[in-house]
Amino acid sequence: MVGEGNVRSHPAELISFGRDATPLHEGSADVVALPGSTAEVAAVVQVANRRGLALIPRGAGTNLAAATVPIGGGIVMSLTRMDQVLEVNRGEMLAVVQPGVTTAELGRAADRVGLFYPPDPGSRETCTIGGNIATNAGGLRGLKYGVTRDYVLGLELVLASGETIRTGGRLIKDVAGYDLTRLIVGSEGTLGVVTEATLALRPRPEASTTGVAYFAELAHAAAAVDAILAFGVLPATLEFLDDVCIGVVEDYAGLGLRRDAGALLLFGDDGTEASARLCVEQMAEICRAGGALEITTASQIAEAEDLLAARRCTLPALARVAPITILEDVAVPRPRLVEMVEAVAEITEKLGLACGTFGHAGDGNLHPTLLLERDDKRARQAAEQAVARIFAKAIELGGTISGEHGIGLTKKPYLVDQLGADHLALLQRVKTAFDPAGILNPAKLGS
Amino acid sequence: MTTPPFPAELLDACISCGYCLPACPTYQLTKDEASSPRGRINLMKAINLRRIEIDNPVAKEQASFCLGCRACEPVCPAGVQYGSLLEQWRSHAWQGGGPTVFALTTAVRWPVLLRTAGAITRPAKHRAESEYQYLLGCFERLLYAKLSKAMTDVFPQLDINPNQGCCGALHAHNGHPETGARLAHELGDRLDGTIVTTAGGCAAHLAEILGRDRVRELSEWIIDDGALGLDTLRPIEIDGRPARISIQDSCHLRNGLGVSAQIRTIVQRLGDLVELPSAGVCCGAAGTYSILRKQDANAVFRSRLDEIAQLQPDYVAVVNPGCYRQVATQLRRSRHAPRVVHLVELIAAALHT
Ligand SMILES: Cc1cc2nc3c(=O)[nH]c(=O)nc-3n(C[C@H](O)[C@H](O)[C@H](O)COP(=O)(O)OP(=O)(O)OC[C@H]3O[C@@H](n4cnc5c(N)ncnc54)[C@H](O)[C@@H]3O)c2cc1C
Ligand code: SF4
Ligand code: SF4
Repeated sequence: MVGEGNVRSHPAELISFGRDATPLHEGSADVVALPGSTAEVAAVVQVANRRGLALIPRGAGTNLAAATVPIGGGIVMSLTRMDQVLEVNRGEMLAVVQPGVTTAELGRAADRVGLFYPPDPGSRETCTIGGNIATNAGGLRGLKYGVTRDYVLGLELVLASGETIRTGGRLIKDVAGYDLTRLIVGSEGTLGVVTEATLALRPRPEASTTGVAYFAELAHAAAAVDAILAFGVLPATLEFLDDVCIGVVEDYAGLGLRRDAGALLLFGDDGTEASARLCVEQMAEICRAGGALEITTASQIAEAEDLLAARRCTLPALARVAPITILEDVAVPRPRLVEMVEAVAEITEKLGLACGTFGHAGDGNLHPTLLLERDDKRARQAAEQAVARIFAKAIELGGTISGEHGIGLTKKPYLVDQLGADHLALLQRVKTAFDPAGILNPAKLGS
Repeated sequence: MTTPPFPAELLDACISCGYCLPACPTYQLTKDEASSPRGRINLMKAINLRRIEIDNPVAKEQASFCLGCRACEPVCPAGVQYGSLLEQWRSHAWQGGGPTVFALTTAVRWPVLLRTAGAITRPAKHRAESEYQYLLGCFERLLYAKLSKAMTDVFPQLDINPNQGCCGALHAHNGHPETGARLAHELGDRLDGTIVTTAGGCAAHLAEILGRDRVRELSEWIIDDGALGLDTLRPIEIDGRPARISIQDSCHLRNGLGVSAQIRTIVQRLGDLVELPSAGVCCGAAGTYSILRKQDANAVFRSRLDEIAQLQPDYVAVVNPGCYRQVATQLRRSRHAPRVVHLVELIAAALHT
């Protein structure tokens, strides 16, 4: 069906497909398939359908919600071999890609013709477009450019029944039928397997500029973000890190960041040379007025890229502190960001937990990361409590338990708190309409 | 119960983020998670937890399929020491062997080969007073004596001890870390002072065992220590234009010792640097990999054939004799074959013209 060389069934070959980038969650696949075409995907899904086997679509396995963990066994289907950029069209400003193309690879293909694919999750060199679509991935440019959802024009999808359909297409406007494209975005592999995507591109900005402001406390940086947005600019990037994160990023990247500061705000914009510079100057001014300890701006693109690259690797760099890094992903309305930041600090302190916090401040999206030693049972329990309290606080502030990483297994128990019973029931009915036998990524969204 | 083969703290450092996947040539080749650094570390973790045996055939195959290029190390923000884990893995589970490797690692003990090969035209001299000792890599002695000749032409002050032995890098990479370490120590004792080498692989191994300060690879010796003024070099010309020179990095030099910019600085002086997109990716030589796993080594190299056809360099400069053999062999079949040379040969040419 997919060729003998592209099926794995030896127990040792399956180990890596039992888990993803999420700590403490592991399942075991019965078999792994690495199809090379839509037809092969459909053939495998048909077998799963006939035999009632679970089928778990998998991209690069970088998600942080255990969304690809096969807890009840079944077939893990890795889409990484379907890695061709099929078309980049400058005139229509779009690209057609297979699901296993990495976000960065698409970015480079667009760049070669003077275009630009804005969504850029921190994991962009590794994660796949299929995974990005299935999780509606965000990234460091969400504030100005939106998230994956805003770029998906059309999809090719293999349904649980094994049929292949197309949603949307190359059109900017198209209202024929329900907007299934949007429904599939963020569906976490529970409604169908994405086998091809048509994605909108943008003209490549001529220039980009970045600045760094240091603050005594993370809450001060959050307040500066609020002030920047209230001023009326819409920059491409507003990211922040606390002191723990600054330390580990500096350990890895050695960029000369100030370790004695309590927080760092990375701000940047793109556009024309002049517009980007003006925006960054304005932001720097607001940070200064907001009590920044020090401000530097990176004029060189290479330097700005280094800063962004360092920011992207914050999560794995935190592994330098502790072997278990439990990362959360709450988002709140921006004016409530300061409250959320303070609540995280209070909750983790009360429970005696080490924590590094960073995030997409401009999106109100925070990644408090709990840092645990391997066999510390007490800390493990405290972490569970902390997560529950952080979620409750986010909901109380009108926010969400997940801004961009998704529900997967880890946040499933909390989803009802977020959505309410009626909403959750509707979700389950949608799932049933697409996948009556419940074979696609079972025990996750919609089940 | 015996102790687990891998130190827990080395394995714990990996949080499975997947950052290393795109840097790994065997993952790029297969797109199979199991052939990625994260996949291999997962196997090691499973071995430590006794979920699989150390001699599990799948695990053994992965230990062998891995190039040992360590491209996964500098890209890992968590600082996972993959190279060290791999050496330990192989010491338990896989020993790359076979007649060719055996011949290589024993033949080098015969200093007489050097002279018959004409490597050293002058009688090998051993001036105890010299501060710098020239290390003759194994591949270099057997196959590329001209390289040693160029080196002694450019640096007449270098001391050469004909009875230096082998540094043990190949042994360490092929599952014999103790032998590898012992040979390095013995060599370190014989070559006192600073060891200068044209072999990136040997440099990295010696630096690990003897200490970073004992070892200087050619390009860092020139640029960082000023062993040769770049103004003594005249750019190499071809048909009245500057030569177009590409580079093939040495994995252990680049990923293990962090030396790559220095090579570029030198090449820019010698001609026009034509950077191949895959310059930093393992060429497939990987110690004895190209001998033991020929097919895979060919596949790993392949991306470069198109790049070379497109960019048409006059030379591909290597900085490790193992890469010399692999790149030369691979390009022999290519239509647009540039000349493969070691960096020091280009330097020698630039001195003379
Ligand atoms: C260091 C690091 C930084 C990160 N930074 C960000 C960030 O800035 N922003 C962000 O949003 N996320 C971030 N993430 C999370 C993660 O990278 C994203 O969720 C990403 O979109 C996952 O893509 P993937 O290819 O790894 O998918 P996987 O992890 O393999 O799968 C994710 C989900 O998608 C489904 N899926 C995968 N492919 C398909 C397909 N073809 N069809 C149907 N379903 C499919 C799976 O079933 C699963 O539910 C980060 C992760 C790490 C480790
Ligand atoms: S080795 Fe490093 S980069 Fe690779 S998965 Fe582990 S922590 Fe991430
Ligand atoms: S050493 Fe090279 S081949 Fe082996 S896992 Fe690391 S990057 Fe891959």
